[in-house]
Amino acid sequence: MRFWKIRGLALLLGLALIAGCQGGTTSQEDRQESTDSVIIAMGPTSEPEAGFDPAFGWGAGEHVHEPLIQSTLLVTNTDLTIGYDLATDYYASEDGLTWTVTLRDDVHFTDGEPLTAADVAFTYNTVKASSSVNDFTMLDYAEATDDVTVVFHMNRAFSIWPYTMAIVGIVPEHAYDSASYGTNPIGSGRYILKQWDRGQQVILEANPDYYGEEPAMKRVTILFMEEDAAFLAVQAGQVDVAYTSATYSDQTVSGYSLASYASVDNRGFNLPAIMQTTDAEGRTIGNDLTADVRVRRAINIGIDRQEMIDNVLNGYGTPAYSICDQLPWYNEASEVEYDPEAAAALLEEAGWMMGEDGVRQKEGVRAELTLLYANGDSVRQALTADFANQLGELGIDCTLEGVGWDTAYDRALSTPLLWGWGAHTPMELYNIYHSMADTGYAEYSPYANETVDTYMDQALASSDLEESYALWQLAQWDGTTGVTQEGDIPWVWLVNIDHLYWVRDGLTIAEQKIHPHGHGWSLVNNVDQWRWSS
Amino acid sequence: MKRQNSRKSTLLFLGVTVFLLLFLVVIGLGVEEEATVTDFTRTNLAPSLRYPFGTDWMGRDMFLRTLAGLSLSIRIGLLTAGVSAVVALLLGVAAATLGPRVDGCISWCIDLVMGIPHILLVMLISIACGRGFVGVVTGVALSHWTSLARLVRGEILQLRQAPYMLAAEKLGVSRFRQARLHMLPHILPQFLTGLVLLFPHAILHEASVTFLGFGLASEQPAIGVILSESMRYLTTGKWWLALFPGLALVLVVILFALLGDRLRRWLDPASVHA
Repeated sequence: MRFWKIRGLALLLGLALIAGCQGGTTSQEDRQESTDSVIIAMGPTSEPEAGFDPAFGWGAGEHVHEPLIQSTLLVTNTDLTIGYDLATDYYASEDGLTWTVTLRDDVHFTDGEPLTAADVAFTYNTVKASSSVNDFTMLDYAEATDDVTVVFHMNRAFSIWPYTMAIVGIVPEHAYDSASYGTNPIGSGRYILKQWDRGQQVILEANPDYYGEEPAMKRVTILFMEEDAAFLAVQAGQVDVAYTSATYSDQTVSGYSLASYASVDNRGFNLPAIMQTTDAEGRTIGNDLTADVRVRRAINIGIDRQEMIDNVLNGYGTPAYSICDQLPWYNEASEVEYDPEAAAALLEEAGWMMGEDGVRQKEGVRAELTLLYANGDSVRQALTADFANQLGELGIDCTLEGVGWDTAYDRALSTPLLWGWGAHTPMELYNIYHSMADTGYAEYSPYANETVDTYMDQALASSDLEESYALWQLAQWDGTTGVTQEGDIPWVWLVNIDHLYWVRDGLTIAEQKIHPHGHGWSLVNNVDQWRWSS
Repeated sequence: MKRQNSRKSTLLFLGVTVFLLLFLVVIGLGVEEEATVTDFTRTNLAPSLRYPFGTDWMGRDMFLRTLAGLSLSIRIGLLTAGVSAVVALLLGVAAATLGPRVDGCISWCIDLVMGIPHILLVMLISIACGRGFVGVVTGVALSHWTSLARLVRGEILQLRQAPYMLAAEKLGVSRFRQARLHMLPHILPQFLTGLVLLFPHAILHEASVTFLGFGLASEQPAIGVILSESMRYLTTGKWWLALFPGLALVLVVILFALLGDRLRRWLDPASVHA
């Protein structure tokens, strides 16, 4: 008898639990009716570990975005050309070795002190001295010649310096202490950091004395949660915007719609372009299979990118042909058509003949390739698996291996690794294709081409930013050589991943710049212009 | 009806269980290749006759993956339990026979290892050994020998004071003969039972450390990997990804626990009445 009672109770409890789950999806009334605040869920990796200090990567680290709390000298417009924030004018000297920037004189930090050229010079000298996440070696020192003029003295010409000036937030010289600034930042930007509960949330409030247009959103709350928790929060109606991924894109939540933003958040494999050998540090570099340019070309045209997007990304992505698709310095010659027959022909030309087991062979050696991906990243794993399947059809037998980032960089020198890149600066081209002085090869995957190097050196030395775009394009393909299909193709680019968000009905998110790598803060670059419709 | 001889039925149970587990290992080895095949034309399918455990987001057959995962788990269990048992036997015997200093030292080691939560220790060792198969096996093997070593040590210490052992010593029986004739038969049942009971621990710890991301790599068909992946998909209603592999793991662990228990009854009937 008692047994049945307990059983009945358990059943009731179970039912109640299920009912509770169901109820969550419709509870929209939870939201307080305020038209000037917004709650956004981001991933835990979006939380800045070192706080909101530009010297330790805030806004200008691996993931580039506007620092919100601080102002920057310049900004990138929606078409990724350069616009003005603190600066009213800037120009480079003829030799590119000095940059002179004039500032507006009506800007105050939130503690009431005016923002002067001295603060700007202090900021740049500080980030140069302490930034571990960004390269400032091109800057010699910054100097304030008067209250509204800053002069940057460069070690070498660096034509894309404006893109750096668009991401470095200006900190106050009188109130900067590197130990505490990260948790207690004072800036002159659109928002003030009101509260930061580490591991949970950040609350930003509009800066009442902001010199620009008054922010429409007075209060921005950012919650850091895992993807499944963010989805549950959306179902429960607790957040207005939440990041999500293709995994959840086939779901529907009443009161929300799925917003998809184009990105250059690309994924691609490096294909080591030299024969296997050992470098000075004893690391294995190079790969005998991908050392043959015909194999690399075959891989590049033998991959059906659209199939990959449909399979893995549920359609939310665009084919990638370079590290900088659709950016002003992108060369359209990078684009290729999917052509498996031509790919097979290239492999045969390279001596790789189809064997009886469906794997190509050359002089008794099977065409085998290990593909690395970052352990624990399900999208990268699926992309790698799809890539391996497609290479399998071409007759290259692939093995997948998940690796941690502690060993991935070294391993990638000899084995293709699935990377994610994409930033609002042409410097990325330089970082992955330009050879380094000490090894003679590019940093992440052994490759070197003097002509490509020269174009990029010229681009950096150029005194005109717009002109330098053409040189960056030539570095990709100049008609005879480059890093594209007809060139050396040392990296194969697969997809740009659309950034997906659940957005509550009634909220209008302002027009987005093409998102860079990093699925997080980029979205809130212009949160001050978001609106609720009444 | 004639009552079944319980010794016989125990033996039968032992045979069936061991056969089942061995069968699982062999089957798992056989389908390992097929279990890692990804096919994007059949992603996220609910359980059906064709795919009894459904498929995941990369179109892998979860039934085959589960089989391969269990097989891998059992093999890891076998390896780690074997290593642990050898370590435990050596240290236990050394502690009991080589004098108080060695005993003190080994007992201290046992206390030290037992004092740290298993899962932490396994994680630490696994990371230090570079994760993957080697990391997990080393981690689990180096953390699970303690209780068995303590058991062996206690038994031997007790045996050495037993009247018949003292008598044998006085009669001049050689140490080796003493150990072979009088000690081994006593220790063996305890030892074998302890060995089998290490399995469920080893398997569960392998699964948990992998679940937490410090063990096997995510392309390997391990139960821990399967379970940690499935967590991401539970909120979207793909319950089969977690349920069946989880149940299968629990079943295997229960089988091992029962196996250990029956083995003890069979080898050491007297202890059942104690």
